[in-house]
Amino acid sequence: MYNAKKLVLAHFWVAFIAFLGALVLGAWQMYVRSPLSTWVKNPEHYYRSVTAHGTVMAYVLPTLVAMGFGYAITELALKRPLIGLKWAWGGFWLVIAGTVMAAVTMALGKASVLYTFYPPMLASPFYYFGVVLVVVGSWIWVALMSINLRAWKKEHPGESVPLAMYGNVAGAYLWAWTSVGAATEVLVLILPASLGLTDTINAGLARVFFSWTLHAIVYFWLMPAYIVFYTFFPRAIGGRLYSDTMGRVAFALFLVFSMPIGIHHLFADPQVGAGFKFVHAVMTAMVSIPTLLTVFTIVASVEIAARLRGGKGTFGWVKALPWNNPWMVAVFLSFIMLGFGGAGGLINMSYQLNETIHNTQWVTGHFHLIFAGAIVSMYFMAAYDLWPQLTGCSPVSPKLIKTQIWLWFVGMMVLTMPWHLVGLMGMPRRMAYYDYSNPELASQAWTVTMSAIGGFILLASGIVLIYTLATATRRRASVVEPFTFSRPTHPGAHTPVALNGLGLWVAMMVALTVVNYGYPIAQLASLKDASVPVIPIGSR
Amino acid sequence: MRESGTFGWSNLVVRWSVLGLVALSIVSMLVGFIWLPSVQGDYSAQGLWASICRAAGVPADWSNGARAKQTSVSTDVVLERSMARDGANDAVGRGATLALNCTMCHGAQGMSESNAPNLSGQYPEVVIKQLYDYQNGKRSSPIMQALAHKLSDRDISDLAAYFAYLPKARTAPTTYDESLPALVRVGAPLRNIAPCVSCHGGIDQKLGAPWIEGMPKDYIVQQLKAFRSSGRRNDSEKQMRNVARSMTDAEIDDVASFYARKASPGGTK
Repeated sequence: MYNAKKLVLAHFWVAFIAFLGALVLGAWQMYVRSPLSTWVKNPEHYYRSVTAHGTVMAYVLPTLVAMGFGYAITELALKRPLIGLKWAWGGFWLVIAGTVMAAVTMALGKASVLYTFYPPMLASPFYYFGVVLVVVGSWIWVALMSINLRAWKKEHPGESVPLAMYGNVAGAYLWAWTSVGAATEVLVLILPASLGLTDTINAGLARVFFSWTLHAIVYFWLMPAYIVFYTFFPRAIGGRLYSDTMGRVAFALFLVFSMPIGIHHLFADPQVGAGFKFVHAVMTAMVSIPTLLTVFTIVASVEIAARLRGGKGTFGWVKALPWNNPWMVAVFLSFIMLGFGGAGGLINMSYQLNETIHNTQWVTGHFHLIFAGAIVSMYFMAAYDLWPQLTGCSPVSPKLIKTQIWLWFVGMMVLTMPWHLVGLMGMPRRMAYYDYSNPELASQAWTVTMSAIGGFILLASGIVLIYTLATATRRRASVVEPFTFSRPTHPGAHTPVALNGLGLWVAMMVALTVVNYGYPIAQLASLKDASVPVIPIGSR
Repeated sequence: MRESGTFGWSNLVVRWSVLGLVALSIVSMLVGFIWLPSVQGDYSAQGLWASICRAAGVPADWSNGARAKQTSVSTDVVLERSMARDGANDAVGRGATLALNCTMCHGAQGMSESNAPNLSGQYPEVVIKQLYDYQNGKRSSPIMQALAHKLSDRDISDLAAYFAYLPKARTAPTTYDESLPALVRVGAPLRNIAPCVSCHGGIDQKLGAPWIEGMPKDYIVQQLKAFRSSGRRNDSEKQMRNVARSMTDAEIDDVASFYARKASPGGTK
């Protein structure tokens, strides 16, 4: 790497330290609402904690990791120094300033809105200003990714954009368009009400705007993990990437289909028409395609690795895989979580099945499994893999990596499987306590104890992560091996021109958004008497 | 690796991607807006266009032009945040003069010596709402209805401004320990009873919910029982009737004792 080492390190360190803090809160939340503890004395403290946990895990951690990872990919894949280093630092400090501002507001109890921007419940304006700063900081990153790719293309006309950078910039464009929904909601609807300029708010419209961001943001979180699947993993286990083009197809499809599907979060909302709910359900089903393509391609790449190591037979090659390699373990476990989480997701997006699990603990189980499980474990692996490049240390101890990843997997399964089960039984999410003394709930008590144990295992894993990254730098490497990405099976193959740029896919993304969101937004915005009185949190 | 092909409509990837997306959108729209609604009686009753509009979420008049049946409403007052703002000095002064009418029951400084509720430090929108409810007959009390009857809008907002200006009755802030009655602290989730502190101050103070710390015990007991029997019905969303419905006499006594034990005039504002 060239100039961005410190920059990337700063992003990763702040992200992981905030992550550890949020893990402590998460474990505490599970503990206080389990039968192991008496009911929390002040439920507001529980909701304050949920807000902080969610804000860090959903906004701060993935944004900082995606930004830092993006800067690293830019230098490593394009093999040239990052353009706009000063701007990048500016973006970083904006994110930090926003995080601190939001954190102080949350700690004071002025923002216990559970991190989702669902009016009429409103937080102090400083919470929203904080989140806006985080988003604006990330927009600087979006611009820099685009500028760097453009500069590289100018120097290399007609050459294929490296796959890692293609995915990286796809993620950046996705985020830019995704964040427009919540940004509009905050600037046009929430802030005027939160500042006291208006006493009412169009809550239905605000929820539709938030759904614009709410689901697609997940694919912004997911992009770094998929880049890792395609361009780090096959190399790390000594294989070849089965298809470079398939990777591009997956990234392009994510760009098109991740955006106009958020109304599946609003299946129970009366202000959105059933027709649009159905169309969004169909488009949500389409997002499973890039994931299935990815699973196929990565498993095929794994098979290539096994056969290169002498694996034989229809399934016999599985034994020849490098099962001792931490990467093999990590991606194997990540795929298990992706499988369960993805299957649960298909149930969430089905218009009818959703009714049975809407707003239950099942939903919490789903997004923890797929994001905190499958995706975040790849954030860990990206950090471990990049650490020698960033700090000049020798490769991170495989033993520690495997310990951490196994703990994470076991903790996540123990946490989320009981959640799925009780969700089916109808346990609502976001409750500070449950009355286990009631005979109807008593039989569910053990599941909450299980989840609490899972929460503590995850906390242990988080501590191992920080320990591993902090102590890795003690062992300096005499020579740091230059970083390489996965090589495709057919290195001479050509890249279709449409899959070497993002213009077509961005245009399709915008067009589909207009088709799927245009009417519901226009209709709700023009509706008379649609506003309800605001409910500021902690104002008295 | 190098790229191949030329970008444009002649490019097969471009053409099939765009056409595929358009086809998918059209098919899913046909299913969502025409086919699925057609098998639902309430969607298809008024023809194709009405069914498409309904699927799109266009607000419809379900009453076929017939006037909606008038149902009794619990209150005519719409709580607005503007009601909660501090009054100007002249409003407070004028309110103080008008409040001389109230002293017989509510005390010289709004701290009741009898079993009438304390008004000192009460939130302005609470006083405004109750006075209007007495005026409109939504809350009954022979004395209060007679007194409220002659008040103008300005009188009501000035009285509210004056009482809000007086210091609240409170000895110490509520602390969240096990000594609080369970209903105050955590409610009873399975009986749908929200904790008192989630609306009446402590965790959150909702607009229109009165300050009840230091209220005379008999008053709280009487009101909870009135809500329980639906004798009092001016809670706009039935929130207090739903809470009180399943409360036992012992629980009402417990909660009322807790809030009353803090009575002490002229605490913090």
